[in-house]
Amino acid sequence: MTQHARWRRTRRAMAGAAAVALLAAGCGSGGGNGGGTSGPADTLVAYTGQAGDYQRNFNPYAPTMIEGPGNIFEPLFFYNVVRDDAPVPRLGTDYSWNETGTELSITTRENVTWSDGEPFTAHDVAFTFDMVRAHPTMNAIGFDGESEVVDDTHLVVRFAQPAYLEAPTVLGKLWIVPEHIWSTFEDPAQNTVQDPVGTGPFVLGDFKPQAFTLAANPDYWDGEPALKNIRFVSLSGNQAGADALAAGRIDFQTGPVPDLHNVEKNYPGYRAITTHVFQIALFTCSDTALGCTGPQTDPAVRRAIYHALDRTQLNALAYQDTAAEISPGFALPGRDDAVISEQLTDRVAPMEADPARAEQVLQEAGWSKGGDGVYAKDGEKLSLSVRVVSGWTDVITAADTMTQQLKAAGIELTVAQSSWNEWSDARGRGDFELVFDSLYPGPSPDPYYSYNYFFHGDNTAPVGEVANPNFARYDHPEVNAALDALQQLDPADTAARQPHFDTIQTRLEADMPYIPVLTGGTTSQYNAEKFTGWPTAEDLYAFPAVWQRPDNSQIYLNLKPAGGE
Amino acid sequence: MRYYARKLGFYLVALWAALTLNFFIPRLMPGNPVDTLLAKLQQRGGAVDPSARRSYELLLGTDTGEPLWRQYTSYLGNVLRGDLGVSVSAFPAEVTEVIGQSLPWTVVLVGIATLLSFTLGVTLGTITGWRRGSRLDSLIPATTVLAAVPYFWLALILVLIFSSTLQWFPLFGGYDTYLATGWNWDFISSAIYHGTLPALTIVISSVGGWLLGMRNMMVATGSEDYILTAHAKGLRERRIMTRYAARNAVLPSLAGFAISLGFVVSGSIITEQVFSYPGIGSKLLQAVENSDYALMQGIFLVITVAVLAANLLVDLLHGFIDPRTRVTT
Repeated sequence: MTQHARWRRTRRAMAGAAAVALLAAGCGSGGGNGGGTSGPADTLVAYTGQAGDYQRNFNPYAPTMIEGPGNIFEPLFFYNVVRDDAPVPRLGTDYSWNETGTELSITTRENVTWSDGEPFTAHDVAFTFDMVRAHPTMNAIGFDGESEVVDDTHLVVRFAQPAYLEAPTVLGKLWIVPEHIWSTFEDPAQNTVQDPVGTGPFVLGDFKPQAFTLAANPDYWDGEPALKNIRFVSLSGNQAGADALAAGRIDFQTGPVPDLHNVEKNYPGYRAITTHVFQIALFTCSDTALGCTGPQTDPAVRRAIYHALDRTQLNALAYQDTAAEISPGFALPGRDDAVISEQLTDRVAPMEADPARAEQVLQEAGWSKGGDGVYAKDGEKLSLSVRVVSGWTDVITAADTMTQQLKAAGIELTVAQSSWNEWSDARGRGDFELVFDSLYPGPSPDPYYSYNYFFHGDNTAPVGEVANPNFARYDHPEVNAALDALQQLDPADTAARQPHFDTIQTRLEADMPYIPVLTGGTTSQYNAEKFTGWPTAEDLYAFPAVWQRPDNSQIYLNLKPAGGE
Repeated sequence: MRYYARKLGFYLVALWAALTLNFFIPRLMPGNPVDTLLAKLQQRGGAVDPSARRSYELLLGTDTGEPLWRQYTSYLGNVLRGDLGVSVSAFPAEVTEVIGQSLPWTVVLVGIATLLSFTLGVTLGTITGWRRGSRLDSLIPATTVLAAVPYFWLALILVLIFSSTLQWFPLFGGYDTYLATGWNWDFISSAIYHGTLPALTIVISSVGGWLLGMRNMMVATGSEDYILTAHAKGLRERRIMTRYAARNAVLPSLAGFAISLGFVVSGSIITEQVFSYPGIGSKLLQAVENSDYALMQGIFLVITVAVLAANLLVDLLHGFIDPRTRVTT
């Protein structure tokens, strides 16, 4: 998904433009690089996909902020969503739950100072928590705990219900701000925090609308980072990003570049890394009780599509072979291996098509093949339309390929392209039969979060109202009950959790409200000649995407200028 | 006097109509800013909790439930007071601030390019029109071909040749971001250096139009009696060309130029996209992509006002230069 998310800008440009620009990138890469053009040896130039000018906003709680979380304002712990790691301590050093999961005790780090010299204490943490709770406009995680400071390094947060699963958002996604400054803000949600004061490894250097710099914080509690400056630049989109990469003007970007297989050859000194977290699926409007209509409301149709897909071909034609296997229970292969249910028929979705199986599924459900080779039932033809965004070339390629693959199984698929705004509007309101999209991960390496977001009946809405984000209108009492039960359990108690995970995964495999396609790859390119310490496939200590916060701060902390300069 | 009053009255009605369209057209688009913002955050690393939606609705104030006609009246009132509202895509920055930041870049770049293209086109048109039938006529097909080439194509070809391959000009941006913004020579020279290629593409693609128009007018004026008289008086060829023929021939082009000045503020969305130029065109694109109604309205307002003002200016000037246009029966 990220793959196509990142293509967006390019795709929106005219196709001809893209073609020429690809040519330009191709030629540009021949013209030498050397890495020296992207600035001093201890300055990393990052391109986050920012198009147009930066509006100065360093409020970590503003959805439009340009930087801050992780680098300037730290969370208590860092949760790695790509590997099942223990949380990495940042401003917190330890946390524990009481037996019922309603009381969270946190120990904060000693000897930390804000970048203006004031000491950091547990009072700042409690202040931050209370502020978020008091301002619904800042409370994007639905936090409702009550905080109480025990002493300068200890505090307790109390919840009305067992809240084990809120730990990753409370500890990992609430950015601690200084009480002595933020208590003077009239409305902290609207403040743009022009000159941020934080505890993080970096402080704001110079700022200009086209670029700004974060400089290493000499008083950082873990010692001044080896990386001295991070420069964030603004370009007009992916294509400009690929051009700048070819010219050696940027050191780190996330997004596909032409000829992904040969990044090391085309961009000397650079490497590419692909991470798989976004699960590509055909979202179906699945529940007639919530107002869905069309053949896809029959689970047999959804399972037939599942069997008719040739995933190897899709991966090669649409995704430059960057995508990976997907599990029909939507646990991530690799990261969630321990959780993937033994009771699933397919542990991972078959990579090859099985049209005979698909037809068998349809016939068992009472569909029969018409004279035109397309199945029909009660006079209704098995013809579906899939909504895609016009200009997202990889998605369109994938959908077109699927049209051919499904035809072999007697299913007619038409591709409906629309603008991105219209597409996302239709997706929200349930105005679709199939929509091509992907499931995103939660705040920690626990499949519970995406299950809860996408499969819980609480997060859906009848057709016509906006679902958020259970777009498939999936509302199954067994799944809802299992998710509610998981909420009461300590995530450490894997034995108690597994039966619920089994229930969810087997239900998903049987119902298939989201037809699994592939796990999409997010590809980043980085300058390995200039810096060492990047995450690799072997040591994936953080999600290597330049826009992923606070993962990028873990990476910046780990980078060292190469060659001891 | 009545002529001018009527003109002004007409422009006021046009302004109101434009403001109304500015208000309603963006709202006919599918989507709303909160869902667009959420979808974007989801694609950017995910982990958007379902609670985020409510929180952002409250923050951006998009869920007021106010009826449309009331929004419309308060919009008109705010526009009159110069309050264009808050931009959602650059929240919580004011629309006026966002526009103020990007408008100068566009006005200077496109303004200078338009001026250059006009001057060049008119000068060349004068000469080719005066010496019609000479070798110079081959300029006409050459420049019209360049004008007919799709603009983005031309721009990308120039980027490929001059920036990527020859590396004479920078690939992107409005200035060298390592320099301090302000009125110092380093910054200004870097802005000029960065603006050269974008300006060049605008000039190349638009000079043909001016040239052709001017040349044809020159041909027409060349056969006027007063030119013949001038020749008969034995005036110098050059003087006849510039003072007698060109002066009369340039009138229609001048009117066209004034109108095209009005469009300078709307910028050139494609130029700014191709060159990552920090102007108003890229802001407009950003507004449309993010369902940022306030910013869209603000930019449309600026464009409308500029075009209307340029038209008004031409109208008034024409009434002044050519008394025939203000004769009333």
